[in-house]
Amino acid sequence: MTENDPIIQVRDLAFSYNGEPTLVNVSFDIAEKEFLAIIGPNGGGKSTLVRLMLGLLDPVQGRILVHGRSPKKMAHCFGYVPQDVNINIHFPISVIDVILMGRMRYQGRRRISTEDRQKAMESMGMMGISGFENRRIKDLSAGQRERVFIARALATDPEILILDEPTAGVDSSGKTELYHLLKQLNESKTIIVVSHDLMIVSSYVKSVACVNRHVHYHPSNEITDAMMDMGYQCPVELVAHGQPHRILKIHGDF
Amino acid sequence: MANRTGYLKSMGIFSVIDALQFEFMRNAVVAALFASMICGIIGSFVVVNRLVFLAGGIAHAAYGGIGIAFFFGIPYIYGTIGVSLAAAFLMTAVAVRAKNRSDTFIGVLWAVGMAMGVILLDLTPGYHADLMSYLFGSILAVPSADIWWMSGLGAVTLAVTIFYYRDILAISYDAEFAKLRGVPVNLLYFVFIALVAVSIVFIIRVVGLILVIALLTIPPYIAEKYVRSLMMMMILSVILSMLFNMTGLWVSYNYNLTSGATIIMVAATGFFLSLGVDMIRSFYRKTAK
Repeated sequence: MTENDPIIQVRDLAFSYNGEPTLVNVSFDIAEKEFLAIIGPNGGGKSTLVRLMLGLLDPVQGRILVHGRSPKKMAHCFGYVPQDVNINIHFPISVIDVILMGRMRYQGRRRISTEDRQKAMESMGMMGISGFENRRIKDLSAGQRERVFIARALATDPEILILDEPTAGVDSSGKTELYHLLKQLNESKTIIVVSHDLMIVSSYVKSVACVNRHVHYHPSNEITDAMMDMGYQCPVELVAHGQPHRILKIHGDF
Repeated sequence: MANRTGYLKSMGIFSVIDALQFEFMRNAVVAALFASMICGIIGSFVVVNRLVFLAGGIAHAAYGGIGIAFFFGIPYIYGTIGVSLAAAFLMTAVAVRAKNRSDTFIGVLWAVGMAMGVILLDLTPGYHADLMSYLFGSILAVPSADIWWMSGLGAVTLAVTIFYYRDILAISYDAEFAKLRGVPVNLLYFVFIALVAVSIVFIIRVVGLILVIALLTIPPYIAEKYVRSLMMMMILSVILSMLFNMTGLWVSYNYNLTSGATIIMVAATGFFLSLGVDMIRSFYRKTAK
């Protein structure tokens, strides 16, 4: 496998929920060290696409290959930050135990080693939540919880980092900080982020996939009118973000 | 001397020693301690995974097993374990596949199991155990053999929990992520559900259906609020459960009340006390701000 082989290949992919097609005829490649944003309207299939890549769902048609193999076999390559970090919020679990979940191994059961703890501490440091290890998860703010979940994904030492709407509970300075960090991580990792925030998308990512049953893959970070239309229903956002200079190619059939 | 005995008795000290001279009372105490251990661990799993309704369903459906056992003349324990495992797996399979309507399905099995038990007992000639003893158990009439069974079950529960603690924690908190990390989520889930089903059967035999549900839910519910880990939740639940059981047994012995119901009332008192403490605490926290 050469340097330029895609890390993820999606071919003729289709998926449906209860007979309702959510993704149709999807094909694209994601290159190594890519920084991809997945955008699109709610219910357009963004999270479904991500879950298919992770191997958490099985395609109805077509296939996804990660390094040429099925995603289920390559699950250890992924660091995943789920959309909802508030699930099970009252669960009695401390921050360190959540992050140590990221150190669970693919092969069988194993005790937590010193190395695992070091790695966990390291990723906490990266996310600026050092000293929180013994806090209970419900006692954190939504933004802090988000950081814990990203730290958990980083603790897996992933080749590909997938974040599903990571900025939902984060304020705007927090967002910039987060994307700054992602950009740094991108030097060594492939990053896929589902986002609503087109402005941030345009200034940090390298490529964009628009998802609305079909997927349009744009190998550069330009934001088109069509993307604006599907990303936002609200025209105020459009104006506020001042789309002008980035409008380039417009794709057809949304 | 008579006065002194009366005084000690009113202090409770004498009556405990007094009571423990009876074998049935010693058996009751040991059975209650084992039931506490099993319920504290299994109950914590049930509560954090929101399986209380499923546990209730298993416990009630298992009554069908009693009917089958009497009707076909097979040993009681095979009937109940068979039916409770079957019910547990069916309910879990439905819960995994069709999440949004699984509660209805559990409700149906719950009712069908009980009805089947009642009808099969109707059809079986001769005298047999009544519904009341199934509901409230008979902790004061625990045979020694049952204590051996419970100690075995307790050992298995403890071993599985310690061995798979990290995995149980991961699948209970975030099953999807656990799956990505290669934890055999479905397999472990079914193993634990099986453990829940078997525990329920054994403990019903000792303390009755209603007390099983109380012991599975009340101590873990109280414990969850004050701990930072599932492990601590399990330990605190076991301790609370033992406390409720012992206090309940002592009260029921002294005032000649039905033991199972008394233990439940003691646990319920603990439950409402903890709610009250929480309300006072949050009130003071608000005024402090």
